[in-house]
Order: sequence, then C-alpha cells, then structure tokens
Amino acid sequence: MSLLQVEGLGKYYNQQTKVLKDINFEVESGEFISIIGPSGAGKSSLLRCINRMVDISEGHVVFDGEDVGSMKKSELRRLRTNIGMIFQHYNLVPRLTVIENVLHGRFGYKSTLQGVLGRFTEDEKEKAFELLGKLGIADHAYKRCDQLSGGQQQRVGICRALIQEPKLILCDEPIASLDPNSSKIIMDYLRKITNEMGITCLVNLHQVDVAKEYADRIIGLNKGEIVFDGPSNMLYEDRIESIYGIQKRELITV
Amino acid sequence: MESNQLTVPVLIKRKRNGRINIRSGNKVDIVIKSTIWILALLTVMAFFFFDYTGLQWERAITETAYNLKVMFLEPALSHFSFSEAIHQVGITLGLGFLATILGAIIAFFLALMAAENLSKPIVSKIVRMLVAYIRAVPTVLWVLIFAIAAGLGSEAAVLGMLFHSVAYLVKAFSESFEEVNPGIIEALRATGSSWWHIVIHGVVPSTFTYMLSWTFLRFEINFSVAVAMGAAAGAGGIGFELFMASGFYFDLREVGFITYAILAIAVVLEIMSTRLKNRYFSNSANA
Ligand SMILES: Nc1ncnc2c1ncn2[C@@H]1O[C@H](COP(=O)(O)OP(=O)(O)OP(=O)(O)O)[C@@H](O)[C@H]1O
Ligand SMILES: [Mg+2]
Repeated sequence: MSLLQVEGLGKYYNQQTKVLKDINFEVESGEFISIIGPSGAGKSSLLRCINRMVDISEGHVVFDGEDVGSMKKSELRRLRTNIGMIFQHYNLVPRLTVIENVLHGRFGYKSTLQGVLGRFTEDEKEKAFELLGKLGIADHAYKRCDQLSGGQQQRVGICRALIQEPKLILCDEPIASLDPNSSKIIMDYLRKITNEMGITCLVNLHQVDVAKEYADRIIGLNKGEIVFDGPSNMLYEDRIESIYGIQKRELITV
Repeated sequence: MESNQLTVPVLIKRKRNGRINIRSGNKVDIVIKSTIWILALLTVMAFFFFDYTGLQWERAITETAYNLKVMFLEPALSHFSFSEAIHQVGITLGLGFLATILGAIIAFFLALMAAENLSKPIVSKIVRMLVAYIRAVPTVLWVLIFAIAAGLGSEAAVLGMLFHSVAYLVKAFSESFEEVNPGIIEALRATGSSWWHIVIHGVVPSTFTYMLSWTFLRFEINFSVAVAMGAAAGAGGIGFELFMASGFYFDLREVGFITYAILAIAVVLEIMSTRLKNRYFSNSANA
C-alpha cells in the first residue's frame, strides 16, 4: 500500500475562495516529488493539509493507512513525529544553540514534563551530533542559530526534521531564500536523504529547472487544481505553460 | 522639477502658501492639534481664576527658596540613625521587589492565556478585559481596597502593587509573546511538540530578555510606588519616615536627607536597567 493517499482533497480558508479543489494523488515510499505552480496556487496549503497544520475541508488524506482528517490531538502529535517539515525561512529558535534546535525534533516523542525539562537521552544527543556531522555543520553545534548563514540554518532545519525519524519530509520552498550555491547543497542533501535513507520527500519549488533536475516526479498545481502529474522528464514546455499560464521563455529560470 | 510637477500634479498636496505638504493632514492630526491648543488655552485661563487673596509674592518666594535651601543643602537625620535609614530603604526596596517578583510569575501564566497566538480567542479576550480593568484603577486605589480586608499596612500595599503589576506585566508580556515569529511556533508544532513544549522551548527563549527588561522597569515603578505607599498606606519603609518627617515633625533637613536617599536608589536602578537593556537589547538587535 502506498505511503500517502490524497483523495478528493478540498481546502478553503473562507467560503468564497477554494484554495484546493479535488486533489487526488498517491505517493509511494521512497519517492522524491516536487510540487510546482505559480504563487497562490495552493502549494503550501497542500503540504499543510498532509500533516494537518491546517484543517482539511473536504476529502481524505490517508497517511500510512490512517485517516489524517479524523485524528484527535494525541494521534495528531504521533502523526507529526512521522512527518518532518522544512521551511523557507528555516524557522529555528534564533536564541538557542544549533544542537538545542536539532533536539526540538524529539519533542513529539516526549511527555509534557520530559519535554519541558529538556530531558534528552544520550542516544538522542549522539544521534543529533551524528546528523550534524552528516550535514557538515558539526563545528557549529554550540553556536547560536542566529550566527549561522542561511544555508547552514537550513541544514539545521533538515537535521531537526531527520531526528524525528520520519517516513515523509515536507519541504515548503526550502531554497527560496538561498543563493544558487547553497541551494544546490541543500537540494543535494534532500536527494541524498531519499536515496540513502529511503525517506520520501515532497518538495515545493519555484524553480522549474531545479524540480526537473532533482525530482523523479512532478506535480503541477494551478489555482488549486492538479494540472500535471507525471515523471519529470515528461514535463515538456507546453505543460509548463499550462501550469504557469505563460510561455516558458518568459519565466525567469535558475 | 518642472516636468515632475507636470506629470503628477494631482498627487501633491500643497499648503495655502504653495509649499508642498508632507503630512497627510488626516483626522488624527487635526484632533491632536486641537486638543493641544485647547489645553494650552485652558492652562493660561486658569491663572486668571485663581484666588490670590492673602498671597504675598515676595514672602512666598523667599520662604520657599529658604525651605528648599534647608532641605537640599543641609540634609541631616535627627529622628533616626543612618543605619536605620538604610534599613528603611531596604524595607521599601523589599516591598517593591516582592510585589514585582510575585507579579512577574503570575503575569507569565496569565500572559500565556492572553496572547492571541498561544490561546483560544475567547480566553484571550476575557483575560485582556480583566487586565485592562485592573490597570485602569490606580495602584493606590487597589492598596486602599485591599486595606479593607488586610488593614492598612505592608500586606495591603504589597497586594495592591501586586495586582497592578500583574495587570501591567500581562499586557507587556503577552505583547512580546505575540511578536514571536509565527514560523517558530509552526515549526515546533510540526514536529509534534505539545503546547507546553512550544511555550518553554520556543516562546520563552525568544522573549526572555524582553520579559526581564519589563520586569525590571516595573521594579523601578514599584519602588517609587512603595515610597508613596509607605506614606499613604502606612506600609512602612522610607516612605513612612518621609511622611513622618514632613507631616509630623516638620523637619526639612530630614526630608532632604530622605529625598537624597531615594534619589540615590533611583539612580542606581536606572543605571542597572540601562546596563541590562544594553546587554540584552543589543543582542536581540543582532538576532
Ligand atoms: N491562513 C490563511 N488564511 C486565509 N487564506 C489563506 C491562508 N493561507 C493561504 N491562504 C490563501 O490561499 C491561497 C493559496 O495559498 P498558498 O500559500 O497555499 O499558495 P502557494 O502556492 O504556497 O503560494 P506561494 O508560492 O506564494 O507560496 C492564497 O490565495 C492565499 O491567500
Ligand atoms: Mg507557499
């Protein structure tokens, strides 16, 4: 059975505008999928329906055989430990050290008291350092996060997601605030996560070329509807036009 | 310049003398201006309505000057010793400190309930309204209200100051909570963190220095309120001595001494808070 099934998903924040309309797709374990589409197409909303950071208005999201829409609070916490999330603005706590921020990824497994007191096992701490080492930022472990560059902060964000031991990682425009070089580093790491650890990645992107280069499969969204879903080598110029509504040469591509 | 004027003539607002106006000239501006003018007019008019019978300008001025001279140039203690004075200042500081610390702790929890990004809208509204009501009543009044139950004295003073401090700090704290980057809260929520995890490991580290500064600022306020309460509510401390010296013994020298003592403490507190702010707020500017 597939890892994630989205069936007839609809989302509206208010009655007038439907942000997502009848979204259907399935994700197999180990896939690396990129979601592209113009601003306001509903990419971020789609990701947030999957780990239910926003409520689902219509249809179903089934993750690992369980219906996300009908989960209660404690089930929801357990669901979220299985789904990592990475953000455009990294969303680390700037005043805390890198290692503290990485360990935040373990809160989902903790009771309220354990978490509040910041009780982490030696295993967890070792794992955190191991991940920092893998992402090449072990040197910075004891630095405050606000002293790191954007690319380094995003790697901390990836560590925080990985220490959750998730089955799926959702990335909301992970490279939109980075220069081309750091972007490449981050995308390489994300690809490596899927290839080596077998963790499924769902990546929102604004750069069509990056999506084509890294993703196995691309989902194109426009005005809340899926207008393309297929292998990335099938994304021809005319399909890009239908996603963005204009000629490809008019797009600024990276 | 000429060509500019030709292209956007409608957008530029001009004063009557033809100079370009850079204020938008909105309602708020007008209201503020007219309020200030009316207040100024009333102040000037008031001088014409005072009762000046029996007032001898010359005597009034020379005697006031003499009193001030005695008070501030010849301060001395006559009714109690220097160490006693230190002790009394300590009591006043203690009153202020107690009210501030207890107030800060209570305010922290209430502010969590008042912050819109951490609480339910209805809870947040109720706490805000309650707190706004408490804040609207002056501290002195709260002390007198508590004096009904606890009797005039330090208990009523601390309770009254505590009440007002809580209300003040809830507003300050909850506003800084609301300024926490929503992304931080979202990211923690997405890891499966519970509400308390988010508060303790996301919100508190991001706002700690603000809370510290606000608490210290409130301590400065509470110190001066505690002086006043010593006099007005018999809460003891240096304020009570001040009240006795001025209203009971008419001892100007002692009043002068006590004033200097209070001033010294106020200066020390001010220096400390400036240091604190420089240390922490300069950091947060980098953040
Ligand atoms: N919390 C919210 N409340 C109300 N409307 C929202 C909310 N979040 C998003 N929207 C609306 O939903 C629509 C889709 O937003 P979404 O952020 O999902 O788009 P997006 O594809 O991620 O865009 P971008 O590429 O600019 O990030 C937008 O029109 C937006 O105004
Ligand atoms: Mg978005």
